[in-house]
Amino acid sequence: MLAVSSRTLTVALAGNPNSGKTTIFNALTGLRQKVANYPGVTVEKKVGKTVLEDGSSVDIVDLPGAYSLISRSPDEVVTMQVLRGLRADTPAPDVVICVVDASNLQRNLYLVSQLIEIGRPLVIALNMTDVAARRGINLSASRLRDALGGVPVVPVVAHKKRGIDDLKKAIKFASVATPINFALPEAMKKAIADLADVLRNAEHASDREAPIIAERLIIHDSSPDLENYLKHANVRSLVGAAIAQLHQQDIDPLQADIEAHYHWIDDVAARSLEPACAVLEGDNGGVGVPPTRYESRGRDAHATLLEYAHHPLSLTDRLDRVFLHKIWGLLVFAAIMAVLFVSIFIVADPIMGATEEAVGWIGGLITGWLPDGAIKDLWTDGIVAGVGGVLVFVPQIAVLFLFIAILEDTGYLARAAFLMDRVLGKLGLSGKSFIPMLSSFACAIPGIMAARTIESKQDRLATIFVAPFMSCSARLPVYGLLIGAFFASQAAWVRGGIMFACYALGVLAAVLTALLFRKTFLKSAPTSFVLELPTYKVPQITQIIRVMVTNTWAFIRRAGTIIFCLSVILWAMAYYPRLSEEATARVTAASTARLLLAITDGVPNLSTTAMEVQSESAQAEAKQACIDQDLAAAQLEQSISGRLGHFIEPVIKPLGYDWKMGVGLIASFAAREVFVAQMGIVYAAGNAEEDAAPLEEAMKADTYADGRPVWTVPVAISLLVWFVLAMQCMSTVAIVKRETGSWGWAIGQLVYMNALAYVCALVAFQVAVRWV
Amino acid sequence: MLWKESDPMDKACDLPGCTNTTGDITKCSLNQLDIGCCGCVVSIDASHDRDLKRRLLEMGFCNGASVECVRRAPMGDPIEFKIRGYNLSLRGEQARLVQINVNR
Repeated sequence: MLAVSSRTLTVALAGNPNSGKTTIFNALTGLRQKVANYPGVTVEKKVGKTVLEDGSSVDIVDLPGAYSLISRSPDEVVTMQVLRGLRADTPAPDVVICVVDASNLQRNLYLVSQLIEIGRPLVIALNMTDVAARRGINLSASRLRDALGGVPVVPVVAHKKRGIDDLKKAIKFASVATPINFALPEAMKKAIADLADVLRNAEHASDREAPIIAERLIIHDSSPDLENYLKHANVRSLVGAAIAQLHQQDIDPLQADIEAHYHWIDDVAARSLEPACAVLEGDNGGVGVPPTRYESRGRDAHATLLEYAHHPLSLTDRLDRVFLHKIWGLLVFAAIMAVLFVSIFIVADPIMGATEEAVGWIGGLITGWLPDGAIKDLWTDGIVAGVGGVLVFVPQIAVLFLFIAILEDTGYLARAAFLMDRVLGKLGLSGKSFIPMLSSFACAIPGIMAARTIESKQDRLATIFVAPFMSCSARLPVYGLLIGAFFASQAAWVRGGIMFACYALGVLAAVLTALLFRKTFLKSAPTSFVLELPTYKVPQITQIIRVMVTNTWAFIRRAGTIIFCLSVILWAMAYYPRLSEEATARVTAASTARLLLAITDGVPNLSTTAMEVQSESAQAEAKQACIDQDLAAAQLEQSISGRLGHFIEPVIKPLGYDWKMGVGLIASFAAREVFVAQMGIVYAAGNAEEDAAPLEEAMKADTYADGRPVWTVPVAISLLVWFVLAMQCMSTVAIVKRETGSWGWAIGQLVYMNALAYVCALVAFQVAVRWV
Repeated sequence: MLWKESDPMDKACDLPGCTNTTGDITKCSLNQLDIGCCGCVVSIDASHDRDLKRRLLEMGFCNGASVECVRRAPMGDPIEFKIRGYNLSLRGEQARLVQINVNR
């Protein structure tokens, strides 16, 4: 029994991916869990609390899924570091619960063998015994315990919450397993022993530790804690010599080590079978395996037996016959993706509308209490507009996260990656890039976050780099405005076609960029695609909802903060400096005069409402509204934003833009859809987001001093190209920095995309002007 | 895809995990394994990519483990295998690095 101490026990949950570890974690901790990040890496840290039978509270850390502790993938490195007590932010656990998938015993035992080597008190949670039983594999927990040298083994069926209480009880009985004597080649054993002696004599390591350290050094374990030993020159040279000598004898230490582990694993697995299975040896067994093969093979037969026990087709196998079928599989895939798309854009729409109303209503409430002046303006145009803009997209984002969580939990995500890998692999990406790319059609931020599932660093970076080219929802209002204004006369299919062309251009840019990357920056290392196809699972609703809420909240916090700050800054840039009193009077007079003229002459370029209303008071109100709009336009022109617009005009002129568009472009760096609202203000065309018709008219009627129209079809095309390709979302830049761990990639992407957008918009305009 | 390197041996495959006792064996690489057929892992030749070799070994491609080719993706790649009781997919270029004995 573990010594009872007064401080809280820390229990770590380790196990292979898809072994049900998270389900057990949720069953143990319920709602008392926190998700954060391990400092310095994009690996999730999940910590929770549970209460044992005796009332004592225990901290539980859900370690990332790991196949091995000598691997280099970020998840596995963190798991190894926590288990060895190498992380300052997470103390070494007092107890390790290793979750073992009973239907997949051998591979799971590999991690167990490594945990035994680390030597912490261990409990085995034997999960999915129901799945194993269905396949004819009957494991005996007591036999497994004996084979492991007395480590408690608790059978569990996590998704049915069976065995959880037994597991809690077993925590206090965790025991350190007897060290395993692996069947290494003699030459290797000698090399390890020699090295261990050197370490002991030089007092670099204790008696007990020395052989373990020696073995790790010889198999070339690259974990940083071994630096303490390798810093000694004599140790280094000895290790080098030992490895060289082994290579000369045709022994690869790492390979020999893993093979020795699997010999042990086969032995343990065979010993853990219930006696009933042994009946199949030399018998016409019920699992459809020809009996004669096993008769003379002894224990290896048991090992092979475990493999062949899967031959009766499981439900997963039968489902995969459809889901991974050449034709049906692709159809099912297309259908699922279609459902995702429909959910994001159509189903989420009413919710988005409701959110917009709610935001407007709350904003309006508080506006009523505020005194006129800067604060009120800041609230309405800065804060409510900015944050409201983000909140409006939250329903879409939430649906997206929900969908991804369901796909991942059921196990279908791996199948999608399997189907898509060939196509995406040729483009320099990976099968697992599909979901991130698809998600980016709603918003690049969840897409980039979803790229964490891609193990290969190069594939992941490439995916993150090109994901923002997928036209996100924020671009839609801009596309809508431009296409509506300039292609209104065209048939519906033409307009739809142009919209489609925008999306296609984004995809094309993504593909070409990924290919370019594959040939240049990310050329160095080969990428691998070793993907487990887990058994299908019924998703746990609470788990799914929890993941959706956590991720959506992370989005709101991250994107929301940045957009909020930028909105305030943008507001300030448009608000200051204020129109002088003299200027205000001048504009008001000019505006009133123009109104009088307009009503008599019927000149367009005026809000139609001014001309349509009948009653006197309503007419006065409408006239005042027009004057207000003109004032707003004048204010914007001479504010910092306006002056910036004028300032960059020479640079954007080759693209066909003028200073007003410049103002819009600057504003759209806070959030792309702000472009529409800003244009509305600049053209004194009222609230362009609610009713774009006045804005469209104003745009079309605008002319340069010499009478040329400002807005022409080539300009519209050029602007569309700009919005498709440019990186304007600062939130995305921040997320990229976080996910890649460096500003280099984030800034590089920003520069690349905007440079590309500039050049392409330039070419588009110059070509269109001559050709269209 | 279907072509196997013919190198007939006149004794049974002596790998510990192998169940072939009939003595008719061909050696080939894993990507050449027909759908539905089984083989025993002999070795992994991946000197240029030690990480991949390590990963494959750790996932169970060692000690003569039996591998079955389950299916190929619609466009021929990647390939799904069953090994040590679970399903795994590998790209053809990676499967090529694994040498196996095929049971007839």
